[in-house]
This record gives sequence, C-alpha cells and structure tokens, in this order.
Amino acid sequence: MSSINSYVFRIIMLGDSTVGKSSLLKRYTEGVFLESISQTVGVDFYVQFMEIEPGVRVKLQFWDTAGQERFRSVTRSYYRNSAGGVLMFDLTNRASFESIREWHREATETVKPFHIVFVLVGHKCDLIAERKVGRKEGEKLASSLGAKYIETSAKNSSNVDAAFQVLTMGIYEALKTGVMSPSKDWDGVKSGLLPTAVTTVQTPGKQEQKKKCTC
Amino acid sequence: MTEVNVSSSLNGLSLMGILDARVGSSIQNFPNLNSRAPRSLSLPEYGPTQPIQHSAALEDSHSLKSVDSGIPTLEIGNPEPVHCSVLHVKRKQSEPEIMPERTFQSACTLPSYVPPHSSAAEHENAVRKSSTFPRTGYDTVKLYSPTSKTLNRSDDISVCSVSSLSTELSTTLSVSNEDILDFMVTSSSSAIVTLETDEAHFSDVTLNSNKETSEQNQQACCQETEVDSKLKILGPFTSFFSRNLFARKQNARFEKQNDLGWKFFGKTSVGENSQKDPKKIEKEYEEKAGRPHKPLSPKQNVRKNLDFEPLSTTALILEDRPANLPAKPAEEAQKHRQQYEEMVVQAKKRELKEAQRRKKQLEERCKLEESIGNAVLTWNNEILPNWETMCCSRKVRELWWQGIPPSVRGKVWSLAIGNELNITHELYDICLARAKEKWRSLSTGGAEVECEDAGFSTADREASLELIKLDISRTFPNLCIFQQGGPYHDTLHSILGAYTCYRPDVGYVQGMSFIAAVLILNLDTADAFIAFSNLLNKPCQMAFFRVDHGLMLTYFAAFEVFFEENLPKLFAHFKKNNLTPDIYLIDWIFTLYSKSLPLDLACRVWDVFCRDGEEFLFRTALGILKLFEDILTKMDFIHIAQFLTKLPEDLPSEEFFTSIAAIQIQSRNKKWAQVLTALQKDNREMEKGSPSLKR
Repeated sequence: MSSINSYVFRIIMLGDSTVGKSSLLKRYTEGVFLESISQTVGVDFYVQFMEIEPGVRVKLQFWDTAGQERFRSVTRSYYRNSAGGVLMFDLTNRASFESIREWHREATETVKPFHIVFVLVGHKCDLIAERKVGRKEGEKLASSLGAKYIETSAKNSSNVDAAFQVLTMGIYEALKTGVMSPSKDWDGVKSGLLPTAVTTVQTPGKQEQKKKCTC
Repeated sequence: MTEVNVSSSLNGLSLMGILDARVGSSIQNFPNLNSRAPRSLSLPEYGPTQPIQHSAALEDSHSLKSVDSGIPTLEIGNPEPVHCSVLHVKRKQSEPEIMPERTFQSACTLPSYVPPHSSAAEHENAVRKSSTFPRTGYDTVKLYSPTSKTLNRSDDISVCSVSSLSTELSTTLSVSNEDILDFMVTSSSSAIVTLETDEAHFSDVTLNSNKETSEQNQQACCQETEVDSKLKILGPFTSFFSRNLFARKQNARFEKQNDLGWKFFGKTSVGENSQKDPKKIEKEYEEKAGRPHKPLSPKQNVRKNLDFEPLSTTALILEDRPANLPAKPAEEAQKHRQQYEEMVVQAKKRELKEAQRRKKQLEERCKLEESIGNAVLTWNNEILPNWETMCCSRKVRELWWQGIPPSVRGKVWSLAIGNELNITHELYDICLARAKEKWRSLSTGGAEVECEDAGFSTADREASLELIKLDISRTFPNLCIFQQGGPYHDTLHSILGAYTCYRPDVGYVQGMSFIAAVLILNLDTADAFIAFSNLLNKPCQMAFFRVDHGLMLTYFAAFEVFFEENLPKLFAHFKKNNLTPDIYLIDWIFTLYSKSLPLDLACRVWDVFCRDGEEFLFRTALGILKLFEDILTKMDFIHIAQFLTKLPEDLPSEEFFTSIAAIQIQSRNKKWAQVLTALQKDNREMEKGSPSLKR
C-alpha cells in the first residue's frame, strides 16, 4: 500500500502596511479580490492546499500580519515558527521596496537558529503606469537575499499561484536537502504519512482540491 | 501545530484531513451553531420546489433581530439640510425610534459590578446632538445628520455604495439587519452581482423605495455609473440599498420589480459566493423569474396588512390537458384532481401558518418599538438630566445592559467616557489646523515642518499621515461612508490627523480608525474627537496602542486567569494547541470589537464597556469563547485561529449577551483589577530580576 506524504508548512507574510499582503492571500485562497479590504489588525489566518508532486501533499498555513512598524514587536514572535516568508513590497511604492532589507534582516535574526525560506514578491504589477521599482532591481535584491523574485497582482490574478508554488517548492527543497527539518520544537513544518487507502475514503481530499483558487 | 493535527500514527493523520473538512463545512454553514434552521423564507430559495419551511421559535426571534454583518441602518433625527454630493438621505415620516429587538431582550440578572470610575464628569462641551448610531432594526430608520454639513436631505437616496459599485466592481457590501445581505460583486463578472444573505425574509422586506425613488436613484446612478449595462443590475439594488441602509420604513413600499430583484438573490451560504459562476447566477435568475407561482401578490408584502389571503389558488392552477393530446383517462384525471386539491390545501395551510408567523413577528416588533420608545423617554427625561446621581443606580445599569437607544447613545458614551483630559472644541480646532498644515507641507514636497513631536522620526510621522489616508478607506469598507467621496471620509481623516498632533507620543496606530469611525457615527466631530482622545487615554487602550508589549502580555495573563476559571476545558484545549490570547485578543481589544462583531452588537458591547470599564472587554472575549465553546473544542489550532479572527457574521445576539452575562470575572475572590495589579507587580519584579516570583 503506497502512501502520500503530507506536510504542513507555516508561512508568514512580511511587508509594509498596504503593500497587499491580505489581498494576495485572499486572492490565492478564496479567489476573491476586494478593492477595499479591511486593514489587518493583529494577525489573520488563511489556509490552502497544494500537491507539489504526485504523492506529496502540502497544507499551507498563512499568518497574515499587520504591517505597521508599531506592531513589529508583536508580530516578531510569529516569525520563529515559520518555514516560509513572503517578503512583499508594492511596485508603486518605493519606500516599501526599501523596507525589504529590514524585514529580511529582522526575520532571519529572530528565527535563529532556525531557517526561513523567502520569496520576494513585487506586488500590484497591474499598475503599470504607477510603477516605481524596476524588475531588474527586484531581481537583484532577491538574489542578494538568496530568494526568488516574482511579480504579482491580486487584482488581475497575475502570478498569484506561481508565487506560492515557488515558495512552497523552495521549502520542500530545503526539507529534502536537510537545511530544514521538522522538529518538536519548531512548528514551521509538520509532516506525516497518509496511507492512500485512507485518503481515497476521506472526502477532505476532494474538498482540498475545491479550495484551490480557481482564478 | 498541534498534536491533534499531526501524529505519526496513520490514524492521526487521516483524522487531520477529516477534521479539516468537517470543521471547514461547519464553519461555512452555521445552522447548528445558531440553531437556526435554514431560514424560513416565504420565498423559497433556488430550488423551485423547495417547500416553505417553518421557522422554529428561535428562528423567529433571530429573524427579528438584526443580526448584521456590517451595514447598519442610519437613524434619522432632526431634519437639517446639509450638503453632500454623494449621499442623499431619504427621510420617511418621522417615526419613533426603533431599536433592534435584541437590545431589549431582558438580560439575566447582572452580577454586581464595580461601577466604572465615575468620572462621568464635567463635560464642558455638552454633546449637542443625540447620537447617530447606525441601527439595524429594519423598519424605521431615522437618519441623523450631525451638524457638520455632510448629509444632504433630499427625497431620495443615492447610496454611495452604489456609486462605488458602479466604479469598482469588486466590492463586498454587507448589509446588516435581519435581512442580512452580503453583497459581493466579483471582479470576474462584469455586472453580475451576488447577494449573499444569512437570513432574509424577502417577502417581508419593505422595499420602500417607490418608483420615483428608484428612478431618481437610477438617475443619480447614471451620473456615476460609467457603464449603462450595470444600471440594469444596480437599479433594483439602489433601492434595495437605500432601503436597507438609510431608509427603512414601517410601511412597505416596494415594487414588483423589486420583488423580482429580491428573488433574484436567494440566500447562499457564506463563502459560496466567491466561487459562484456568474452564468449560474443568471440561470438561477431565469429559473426563478420563470416560475409561475413565484410572485406573491403585492398585498401580501404590506406589513400592515395582517389578514391572510391565500394565494395558492391563484398560483397553482390545474389546467386541462391541451386539446391536441389524447385525453386523460377518467381515473387519472380524477387522481390528478385529487392531488391538485391536496396540494392546494397544503399550500393554503402553509401560507396560513406563514401569515400567522409574520403576524406574530409584527406584533412582537410593535411591542418592541413601544418599549424602545419608552426607553428613549426614560433616558432622555430621567437619566440624562440627572446623570451624576443616576448613572450608578441599579435601574440605570440594567437599562444600560439592554442597550442604549441609538439616539441617546452618543450622549451616554460621552458622559461615561468623560473628559478627564479637558479637551475643548477649540483645542480640537487647533490640532486639526496643525494637522492640515502638516499635510499641506508634506504634499508640497516635504518642507521642514515645525514639530514638537517627541521620539518619532520624520519618516515615521510621514508614514503615519500617509497610512491614515490609506487606512480610512479600509475602515468599514462595506459601509462605504468612509471612502474617498463618502460623507464621513473627511471627518475621520480630521479626527485621526488631529489626534496625531494632539498626542504625537502615540501617533496613529492601525485599529484606531475603527474606533474613531464608530464614534463619528454617534457624535458630532468635535465631540467624537474628545471621546476618542479620552477613550484612548484609558489604561488598557494606552497599553495596547503604544504596543507596550510587556503590559499587553500582562493583560493577556490576567485574561487567562479568568479564562481558566470560567472555561477550564476550553482553556486546556487552547493551551494544548498553543493558541495564545494574542492571536485573537489583539484585533478584539484594539478595535473594541468594532471590526470583529457586527456593528450593532459591537455598539452594545461599547455600551456596557462604557458602563463597566476595560474588564468588560475581556469579559466579552470570554463570552465569545463560551458561546462557541462546543465547536472550538473540536477544532485544531489553525481552525480556531481562523474562526476567532473571523467571527461569523450572524452571531446570535441574545445568546451572545446571555453568554457574556454568564461569565464571572472573579477568581479566588479576586476581581479583574486586583488580578491585573498583582500580575503587573509580578512582571515588574521579574524584570528587576527578583528570583522568587513566578508569573
């Protein structure tokens, strides 16, 4: 009886206020975009499922944090147990791009000795006329941080799935190469085995598929 | 993650998926939760053959209550012509104020509470007007226009929500009241609108916009809509919205057209809509529009008409088989005849029951209106003039618990919050002027601005001001009144900006805009600013808004003491799943529940918070946990977290307050303040390095 590898990855959203963290997640997990989404106060949670390769199913647990600097002391406590981090900036907001280094630095410092896999996301790529950060710049920053770079738009769904796939794959790679591993003291990654016999019986599998963004 | 979620055993893991699914579905449809049967609708939902369900008694009371999801109706007080380009308010004949029924449910006997620090003090600046708090009762709406010039009184409402609809098709509008609607326009469709309602009695709805209204609305819409085709869809909605948001009326004034519009959108369960294919919605519309027995006669919808008129015979028609087909054999015809008659009898019975139920509802509503009217009188004539002496009396405290009538709310809040800081209207004007100067100088390229700001860099301040602007339109977006161009946009901006000048040491923190918004909806601008500043000056608010992490943790620790005391099982479950209070409390405390609870419920929480102080905020938190204890115990970390950070929009208000009332803020003879002080002391000593004390 073959079995399915099952993981839970915890991912944290990082970036200045209003760059679009909540919107991206809402688009990804609910397929919805709201022009005026409520500001995030504290932390919000989202869930999504992904099959990264046949026989490997991942449940992504997103921690969507308030971006205002004032909240940093509170949200910092959430970094530690994250396997992945979405470093997000707004392509039309230069300051948010410049904050990325600080976000990255703070996160890596805080989680030591653990490890976070990052992806750099340049968001609101639909706003072509208002763009203030070039693609090359983004790529350069990303590689200096050891991360991949991707430009997204929650509004037109551009690259939304891709961004999270890239991140998830990155985490999975880190797991496979041993950079990261599940541990009792760390909630970033949880893993286990699901026997296929059981999975065919349970409906959640199907529901998981349904939850996927259909945009 | 928790052990429940992950285990090395196969069983544990297989459970993981199942748990998700089960929990997921229970989150989506809360019939069990609210013990609300799928609503009894006189208009059946999508299935053409759906039987009319009879509501349980509980359903009745729920249907009466305005369980809202966001958009309250505004109360109209004294007419005052005021200008606003976007929002025109329709005022119906003035009627006695009507409170949502639920606020007048008598609560359980109150445990005795330490009266709030009775600085219901000198309020130099008397609140000039009675409050404007959005009410959710669906009948009368009185729209209160504050002295500030924002609302235009004309005969019609062109709801600004509509204008935002016309330009931004991706909007979610939540209507709060018993006809709860989550109005969501998905960006994927060009003009298809999905109405999501948690509960509705469509036929009971008083779509009060009459023809002229909807025409005028449509005209107003025209000016704003860019695309004509959208009008068609938006038409019935503008009237719907006007009615729901601002002009609910006792007498039904509705249209056949609106009826149809109503029927267009049946209830869908939460979460479903986002996935709904526009095509499917159109199809459903076709189906519904096509059904012959669908439309109820207009008379049926007139609330005042309590007589029962059976429609079944007019709706169900047994026709003879067309002549060009072979005739039915006699027995078959006879059988059909019998079946038809049975159907008619059944239908009649159902309709009778339905009409009786509605009659009962109406009677209850009338009773409630009366009691609300009485309460208003009591507050206005007896309590407010003698505030100092009366505010702590048992009778007043009980009335308070039941909910302050919206017209009186602002005044009471103002008095209860007090003005220890001695802020005058003039001071507000000064702060506002300073803020405006800053904005001007920032926008003209960052010239040096004279600042007495302490401890914040220019970048921080700029970020604050910029952030305020961005946050305003993200404050109660579904109400559409704080957005750019909305009637309260500038007011909110002014208050928050003035506050950053008044308290540069605190500045602007996310969450504040919600608090200010709620105050704006109940008070004049300057009074709102005074209440806002004094409110934020309270110890708990100060600790949180300054994000004094240590102090916040102390509050959480105090909370956990009473959590364990009141809900030991759930407490243990949370501990096991590593679900710390910050996960859910931050949002609740920062916004004083205004973001997390339906607005009318939040206001009632504020009412008692004004009476009892900060302890009530934590008592409310426990009330929420208690209310949902059963399902929370079955959930794992992520689901609990998701659930608590996004509470169901149809929270049953009576049960909710009963739940809160059952919470005792007492642990081993210690009350809130004592526990908190003790923990603070411990905390300080720990910081000092004292070895013997343990938290």
